[in-house]
This record gives sequence, structure tokens and C-alpha cells, in this order.
Amino acid sequence: MTLDDAKILIGDDSILARKQIKDIISQYGSPIFLEASNGQDCIDIYKNEKPTLVFLDIVMPVKDGNAVIREIIDFDKSADIIVVSSVGTQAQLRTAIETGAKDFVQKPLKSADQIHHIITSRFERS
Amino acid sequence: MYAQFFGNYLLSRGVITGEQLIDAIQKKSVSHVKLGTLAMHAGYMTANEVDQIIIMQTHQDARFGELAVKEGYLTEAQVTELLKAQNPDFLQLGQTLIDEGIIDNQQLQALMIDYESENEIYEGDYSNETIASINHLVENFFVIAERSLSSFEVSFIRLFLTNLVRFIGDDFTPVSPYTCKEYPTNFCVSQRINGRFSVKTYIDMPETACIKFASRYVGEDFTSFDEYVQSSLEDFLNLHNGLFNVNVSNDMSIELSLDPPVVETNELLTFKAETFLLPIVFPFGTLHVIFEIFKSE
Repeated sequence: MTLDDAKILIGDDSILARKQIKDIISQYGSPIFLEASNGQDCIDIYKNEKPTLVFLDIVMPVKDGNAVIREIIDFDKSADIIVVSSVGTQAQLRTAIETGAKDFVQKPLKSADQIHHIITSRFERS
Repeated sequence: MYAQFFGNYLLSRGVITGEQLIDAIQKKSVSHVKLGTLAMHAGYMTANEVDQIIIMQTHQDARFGELAVKEGYLTEAQVTELLKAQNPDFLQLGQTLIDEGIIDNQQLQALMIDYESENEIYEGDYSNETIASINHLVENFFVIAERSLSSFEVSFIRLFLTNLVRFIGDDFTPVSPYTCKEYPTNFCVSQRINGRFSVKTYIDMPETACIKFASRYVGEDFTSFDEYVQSSLEDFLNLHNGLFNVNVSNDMSIELSLDPPVVETNELLTFKAETFLLPIVFPFGTLHVIFEIFKSE
């Protein structure tokens, strides 16, 4: 699949963080972006839209990122979820990966490298 | 210290898999950081030198430290210092990965250097003036609190100031902090940390200052008080608190939790717990930073 054919869901309560992730991804292609500003919206959008890839914050209102990973994985075992958070503590990282997240990116996003790697390892060049 | 999680770093570099990391974290608590690893971390020995001593140990019955001193790699004083010093938690994870045969000393040495240069800010990065002003401020907190501050409080305030330098700039003049019971807001965001250390931090400033603050934080030139500007303040606070929790987890193996950041809607805040207000004057306006301390062991 090329990035242009992908649907990418970004779950973060910060509109700034969502924009920063979209800006980085947009350097490599033009997927359809879906956005959620709280955990429950993120779950609902996932179920309706079945995105190719999810970027997810942990600290969010209504439901936190860990609950979101759990509910999405219950719904779709093959969900591809990347956690992007400032709270990369050992316990947090472990919980996220044990619950089913595929990777963990620590904020601040100092460079586009990690997101670039995540995108290029998943999508063909369009 | 700005230690972000080493495991996360190794994972993102593709050095280890998620399974290996989880396995290593589970085994970490029983692994013992070896003197060779400590010497590499301190920059006293290279990975090659450590490996040489390990090979020598297979031929003769002697401790690593004794041999390293005999070979002139370490002094007695350095051995004592290394054994006494408290070491960052990530070293233990590195040791576990070596013990499990997932990485070797050469790899660990390179990774440690890379990790620390990427994730830590050394005091050398700051001007003497900045360090002095941060130290002075922390001392002021001791004076106005009229009690000794816990190590949580000291590291929290220090990290906040260094994060201001790191993400906004060092051209600020801090005014002496004072205790307060209520505060009339301009534009104010807050976020609370919970656990053995529980503090709610508020950042308040006029809209014009918010625009400049956000422009510096994001590295874009914002011109109006829009949703991105508002979100920048919450983002900065969330980043600071997140990094604090990471540090506490790394250095003290204590897990704290974090509520989502919120915009305060009340025009007047009234505080329930002991509260300190710290005015910080930037050329673009004054930030009022408020620490409401609910619990500090």
C-alpha cells in the first residue's frame, strides 16, 4: 500500500501535537487524516473508519491511551498503533506494548526521523 | 537529568525488539550493574578495555577492579567512586541486555554516548549566569517555604526552569517567588501530577504574551491568539510534567500519573493546598507560574 492510499488516525487532545504529526507525515505523501481529541472519539472513529495506522497519545481526557489501545485491540487484533507521548516511563512503555501498541515515540518530536522510519517501513513509495 | 527512557530509545533504533525489552525490564531488578559498565558510563574505560579485562579474568582469579587498576585503566580512587555513586536506572537495563547476550560492550558504549548526547542537557550547555539564577531561585523557594523542600520539589522546580531555557529561551528574569491563596487569571492552563508527589502546576499570562510564548515553543510565527497558541501552553506543560515523570521513573523507580492539561475557566483561582507563585519576566511579557503542592513526601 502507498501512503496516499492510507487512512491515518491521530488521537491527541493537543491540536498542536496533531498538526505537528500531520505536517511530518505530509512530507512523504497525502493520506487521509482522521483526528480525535479524546480517547472515546478515538475508539469510535477507529471502529467506523478502520484506519491503516494510529498515532496515539497516552494522557487524554475521557479515556486514556491505554484504555484506547485495549479497546481497539479487542475490536481488531491487527490494529497498528504507535504511541506518541511525553510520558515514556518504564511502566508506561511496558503497558502500551503489552496491551498491543507496536511502537512508542517519546515527545518532544525533536526530529522527523522516528515518524519517517515508521512511515517508510509501512508504506511503498507512491 | 534529562534521561528519557533508554529502552524506548533502543526500541526506536531497532537495537532490540519489544519482546526482548519487556523480558529485560522484568529481569532488570535482579541484575547487578558491573564495574566495567560503570567505568564505561563514566568515560574512564572504553568497551575494548573492559573486554580485555574480562578476558584476563578468565585466566586469573582476580576482581575486575584489581585488574583494571593493575593495567592502569582505573585508579583506586576511581574504583571507589564508581562503586559508591548512585547510577541511573538505564544502566541496569543496559547491563541486563549484555547479560542476556542481546548486545555487547561495544554496542552499549556507543549507545550510551549517543543516548546521553541526544537526551541530556549538560550543565555545560547553560551559561554560568543561567545556572546561577536557577540555583538562586531554588534557594528562594527554601526561604519562602519556611521548611525544607523535598527532593521531589527541588527537582520539579529545577526541571521546570531548565525546560523554560530549553524550549522557550534563557532571556528571562525570575522574580522572587511568594506564597499565595488566590489568583486572578488571564489565560491560564493547568495540569496535575498524582502519586507520591502530587502537584498542580498553572501557567498564566496575557494573550499577547501567549502568542510570543507559543511562537518560540513551536518555532513558528503566530500572530493571533488562536487555538494553536492556546494549545501550545498546554503542550509545554504536558511535556514538562511528562519529562518529570520519566525522570522520577528512571532515577527513583517511582511511577507518577498525569491528568490531561486543562484551560482554567474561573476568573479567580482559589488554592486548597500550599501554593507558590513564581513570576518570570520575559521580554515579551510576564509568565505567572503557580505550583499548588498537594503531596510531597
